[in-house]
Amino acid sequence: MNKLNNTQGLNIPENYLVTPAYVFFLIHSMQVGVGILGFEKYLVEKAGFDAWISVLIAGGILHIILWMMYRLLQNGGGDIVQIHNSIFGKYIGGLLSLLFCAYYTLLAFTVIITFIEVIKVWVFPGLQVWVFAFVLIWLVYYLVSGGFRVITGICLISVIIGLPILLLKFFPVEAGHTMNIYPMISHDLTDILGATKQSILSFIGLEFLLIYYPFIKQPEKSKKWAHFGIFYTTMLYLISVLVTFVYYSEEQLKQVVWGTISAWKIVEFPFIERFEFVGIAMWLYVILPNICLGLWGATRIPKRVFKIKQKYVVITFCIALYFPAVLLDGRPVIDMVNNLSGQLGTYVLMYIPVLLVLKMISDKVRKRS
Amino acid sequence: MWKWKRKEKQQQPQQQEKKKQNGTLSEFIQAMQESEDFVHYNLSGSTRCTISYLKTMCDSQVLNRSVLSTLNQKSLPTLRDMQESIPVENVRVTSKLDLIEEKVMYGYIMIQLHEKDEEVVLVPAISLESRNVSIPEVEFSVVGPKEAFVETMNTNINLIRKRLPLPQLTIKEMNVGKVTKTRVAVIYIDGIVNQDNVDTVQQRLKGIEVDQLTDSSFITQIIADNSNSPFPQLLDTERPDRVVSNLVEGKVAILIDGSPHALTCPTTVVEFFGASDDYFLPWHLATAFRLIRLFAVIFSVLSTPLYVAVLTYHHEMIPAALMATIVSSRSDIPFPPILEVIVLELTIELLREAGARLPTKIGQTIGIVGGIVIGTAAVDAGLTSNVLLIIVALSALASFTTPIYQIGNTIRLIRFPFLIGAQLWGLIGVSMCMVYFIGHLIKLQSIGRPFFEPLYPLRIKDLKDAFIRLPFNKQTERPVLMRTEDPQRMNQSRVNAKRDIDE
Repeated sequence: MNKLNNTQGLNIPENYLVTPAYVFFLIHSMQVGVGILGFEKYLVEKAGFDAWISVLIAGGILHIILWMMYRLLQNGGGDIVQIHNSIFGKYIGGLLSLLFCAYYTLLAFTVIITFIEVIKVWVFPGLQVWVFAFVLIWLVYYLVSGGFRVITGICLISVIIGLPILLLKFFPVEAGHTMNIYPMISHDLTDILGATKQSILSFIGLEFLLIYYPFIKQPEKSKKWAHFGIFYTTMLYLISVLVTFVYYSEEQLKQVVWGTISAWKIVEFPFIERFEFVGIAMWLYVILPNICLGLWGATRIPKRVFKIKQKYVVITFCIALYFPAVLLDGRPVIDMVNNLSGQLGTYVLMYIPVLLVLKMISDKVRKRS
Repeated sequence: MWKWKRKEKQQQPQQQEKKKQNGTLSEFIQAMQESEDFVHYNLSGSTRCTISYLKTMCDSQVLNRSVLSTLNQKSLPTLRDMQESIPVENVRVTSKLDLIEEKVMYGYIMIQLHEKDEEVVLVPAISLESRNVSIPEVEFSVVGPKEAFVETMNTNINLIRKRLPLPQLTIKEMNVGKVTKTRVAVIYIDGIVNQDNVDTVQQRLKGIEVDQLTDSSFITQIIADNSNSPFPQLLDTERPDRVVSNLVEGKVAILIDGSPHALTCPTTVVEFFGASDDYFLPWHLATAFRLIRLFAVIFSVLSTPLYVAVLTYHHEMIPAALMATIVSSRSDIPFPPILEVIVLELTIELLREAGARLPTKIGQTIGIVGGIVIGTAAVDAGLTSNVLLIIVALSALASFTTPIYQIGNTIRLIRFPFLIGAQLWGLIGVSMCMVYFIGHLIKLQSIGRPFFEPLYPLRIKDLKDAFIRLPFNKQTERPVLMRTEDPQRMNQSRVNAKRDIDE
């Protein structure tokens, strides 16, 4: 029995597990990525300055989906691959799991190219992408090869280092106009719901729980931490949105691609100006968990489905990610990839309730027979 | 085919062992007589016997006063009689050849009745030449104990034992090194230490395959979990008080004969920045100094890379008022910032290296000549800017604030990758380097325990004595890191018992 579990890769030795509280960092750091640098613009396009309500609604929906995921995982006895296999059988289930793998890879890829784009736009217009992407992906490989514990550590560090960046929000508030937010609720429900869908895009990332769930020690205790994580993200987004609304006017915001970075520009200390350079450099810490966890999750699925060594899969994926990351260029393409991964993200989130229903039905049928 | 090879390999050591067993005492004596300092002669006083010893290893007082006088006064016909009459502790009769060989090499006196006899009496007469216990020079502290370890293991163990008069203080000894057969002792307090840690250490020490072991740093490098890391994964200290406090916390200490440094493990990266002074000062002062030290380390690693990054790529970041200062100091410099920095950093490294190799008195002169004369001359000649000179000198100074010398070397060197990162991609390059090192630290382990500990895995309890040091009454538990068998240091309720007014 033990041996069987080992070949499936589900029986994880205790020293590779993480304590429940880390789920907070895992969920939160995966949600916050490049999106937060410029997501306000997309919300404003839909619902104007009422978009902050959409953020709250989106956060609420995410809590419900998280609850469903825990229901699914607690009864499923393992991760998404196990659940897929038990519902759909080996082949269709395996195929669906591989779709998840593709989606995770896409997420990691989106973050890589968006970050490179930000650097090209804001810091080095003449960046030699092939060198930079190589070093970045090598760094990611180094971290991912350390295993899940190292990635969790990076998530933790990222949240800690992300905290001071948050304080910078104070500067735009100082320079802004609080009256911008009024009049409240001037848009109708459809607009607000439209913006909700947009803001869900910046919340995606919690579906990685489906793959790292077996790595949590006493997983039932991690529930509250996961909810804390989502709550924290919601609050962070709410603050970001409000600060941006206070700082920009509605028309102006529609023209700005990277709202947060533009707002950093006004940060001034006696010894330092133009804080966006520091901000972007620190942003590396915030996006690295995205890439690492994305790649780790993506490469763990083939390991679980085909029972091959994850090391080789990671190397293959790194090489596979490198070339498109170097070749893809230009705002339209990157926008397209972002939209695509966002769309897929919403589908994945919508797929979870379906999966839960299917799982409950299959459990019932099995019980009866 | 390979099987056959393996068989051959297995046979070789067996043959060697056989050879050893086949050797006789007379062969050993013959081999020893090749050396001039081996004394072997027949005694023809009242007792007739043969005495052999290494005169360079033996204490002649024991030989003359106790052994020879006894043998000449009485007639002792058997070895047992000799064992009883010689007034030296722990005299033994044996015929085990390997024991005899070992003991004679350490300075025991061997007595045979006849030259061809296999059975001998061994009289311990080891003369230990050792330095006196002196004040710590590497980890000096103004207050607190002023004893440091010396090169003799027995003295070092004495220094520890006298501070820990406990029967539970356990010392396990073994010999490491094929040729040198160095004595290595593993020390721990039974009942506090986690047996897993002791087992890991002992296992790793037993697994060591080297010919020579001349210092504790050999052990640090060999048994480290990742021997390719620039970070030392065992803490080495020359202060017995530090070792004792580590032992009480539940750590394992390793002493090596011939090395004036003890190793303690498991350790964390934060511990390298804690000095023993931190415990001799009130806790708020100690905390402030510890934070200053930590800031110094960060400054030392990051200041010059940031200089390169900002001046090469992000001039916009410098406020206008500060810009004037930097521009005026850099206006005559013909080099880009990176060259300027590398030249100065290498100069400082050169000074340090030279200072460390030269005798103290000349070293000081070199420091003054190098630091002041070369520095001013370089600025006057327009090779480097004043601002950079200040930064480099400060960062060199800051790197000396670490109490443990080994980590100082690491800090000295890891700024160069940061410099390369800064030159490549400015601030982003610096932060990429930082991520790499943080990832590396997270990956590292010390004797199987996480090296980056109170930070990751985040353990709030251990943060009480990491970046800050809380007062002793708040530290009633031993660090979680060691997973000690007895996590309670003292009775918490009694420590924190509140007294009413006028009681």
